[in-house]
Amino acid sequence: MNKTNLRSERHRNQRGPDWGRAHGGVAVFLTACITLFPQPAQAFVAAGDRMFPGTLILPQIAPTDEAYIQGATPFSGTPVPLDFRRTDAIWFFGKTLTEDLAIRLRDVYTRLDPPSRSSRYGWQTLTANAQYEAILDGPHEFLFSVGVDRQFGGTGKARVQPPGFSGVGATVPSVYFGKGLGDLDIGYLRPLAISGTFGYLIADKSPRPDVLMPGFAIEYSIPYLESKVRALDLPDLIRGLTPITELFLTTPAGQEHGTTTTALIAPGVSYAGEGWQFGIEAMVPVTRTTGKGLGVTAQFHVWLDYLFPNSIGRPVFSSP
Amino acid sequence: MRNRLMRRRTVITAVATSLLGFSSIRTAQTAQQAGMVVAASGQCFAEAGGQRRALRIDDPIYLGETVDVSAGAKLQLRMADGSIISLASGSRLKINNFGIDTVGQKRDARLTLTTGLFRAVVSPLSELSIFEVDCPAGTAEVRSTDWFMEAQPGSMRVGVLAGRVVMTSLATGRRVTIPSRWGAHLEVGLDPVPARLWRSEEFADVIARTDVS
Repeated sequence: MNKTNLRSERHRNQRGPDWGRAHGGVAVFLTACITLFPQPAQAFVAAGDRMFPGTLILPQIAPTDEAYIQGATPFSGTPVPLDFRRTDAIWFFGKTLTEDLAIRLRDVYTRLDPPSRSSRYGWQTLTANAQYEAILDGPHEFLFSVGVDRQFGGTGKARVQPPGFSGVGATVPSVYFGKGLGDLDIGYLRPLAISGTFGYLIADKSPRPDVLMPGFAIEYSIPYLESKVRALDLPDLIRGLTPITELFLTTPAGQEHGTTTTALIAPGVSYAGEGWQFGIEAMVPVTRTTGKGLGVTAQFHVWLDYLFPNSIGRPVFSSP
Repeated sequence: MRNRLMRRRTVITAVATSLLGFSSIRTAQTAQQAGMVVAASGQCFAEAGGQRRALRIDDPIYLGETVDVSAGAKLQLRMADGSIISLASGSRLKINNFGIDTVGQKRDARLTLTTGLFRAVVSPLSELSIFEVDCPAGTAEVRSTDWFMEAQPGSMRVGVLAGRVVMTSLATGRRVTIPSRWGAHLEVGLDPVPARLWRSEEFADVIARTDVS
């Protein structure tokens, strides 16, 4: 499932989060995770010795057996009035069919809180994805995948969706890539990596517009620094961290139907344990048309191929 | 007169050589047997105390010996606990310890892979059992599993077909747990690289290199 689809809608109708409450809960959760599982990171999507951590805004760049839950209180935007508060709870499940091919399902349960009125609840459009890893070059820490999302029209509730979007499905062919810089002789910059995606959303019908959706993430992996460059005497918490910044753009292609170009930047950090990862990112609108204020999103990711390598975490079609 | 002296020297030399040989054989025979050769191809040797003997099928392997598999050769051992170790071409493995208790439920196996690649199918014993292999970069510890370890100058890597292996960096003490179908890499002086799924081609490669049949 391409998370960017959700963002393209989310940007229009958000309000700032409850920062105090969000910070407190996240801090407690993260502390509990690290206390309970103080082990070094595991690679989830990997090209050679390079691991690409799960991203919170952009889609995963290669097939894996995984599941996550994610919460988000995005920034305010249009067309939903600015005084609406929105909270999303996201679930995601990915299953490999072969080593190179996976299918995924994802949906979002949204709560909208208009001022002086009762809250609205409902599911967004269910999305399925198929992704195929076409190139994996371990020595050069490079991978390239292709995929397609299908948003099933009619599966979401109109009361939580932008006008005109409800009931209209879409198809999103996409490409994905990841490249680590560890094969270059650049010393302490070797832990840097870049990953990204480029999708083209084709709406089933008007007034939903077709949309171009490029996105990039740049990350500096402390686990890579410790295991491939130099072992610094850092605390356990720091050793498992990967600071990451995601950038996601949407721009209408063809008939705009009132939509405009949006840009979101999401700086944050992820911590990887044995078979799990916790990530948290701020959501910052880059342009006025994208929205106002700040949002926050947090994700708890489990890697089924690590935790259950011989059952649910195994490709459906695999050699014994 | 000179002939008699020569003959006496020859006899003394022969007796001394016999005594030394007997002594060394006796040392080998009294050393604890750790395993035996069950399959071999090419030239393989066991070395200890500066002595080197060629290995053939059914030959014993003793504690303290280093098994040397020449280039182009392969060797398979069945250890005292029933574990099977298959060594790839160009490997050197030292048997530091291979103790089994009287009821065969507790094992203390400590090996050193100086260089090369092996596959170990480690028999399941009690929780207290130790099966540990070290190399210059780190150690790998298992209970019961089917796994591979390769030691190269400056690094090691482990791949696991079944079970779990814990790989520890000698330099930093950091460890990584590797489940089945996963593998990990470790460079000298650094933390282990995070484990990742090994692809079927990677397993096929190490299986082929350690397949003696």
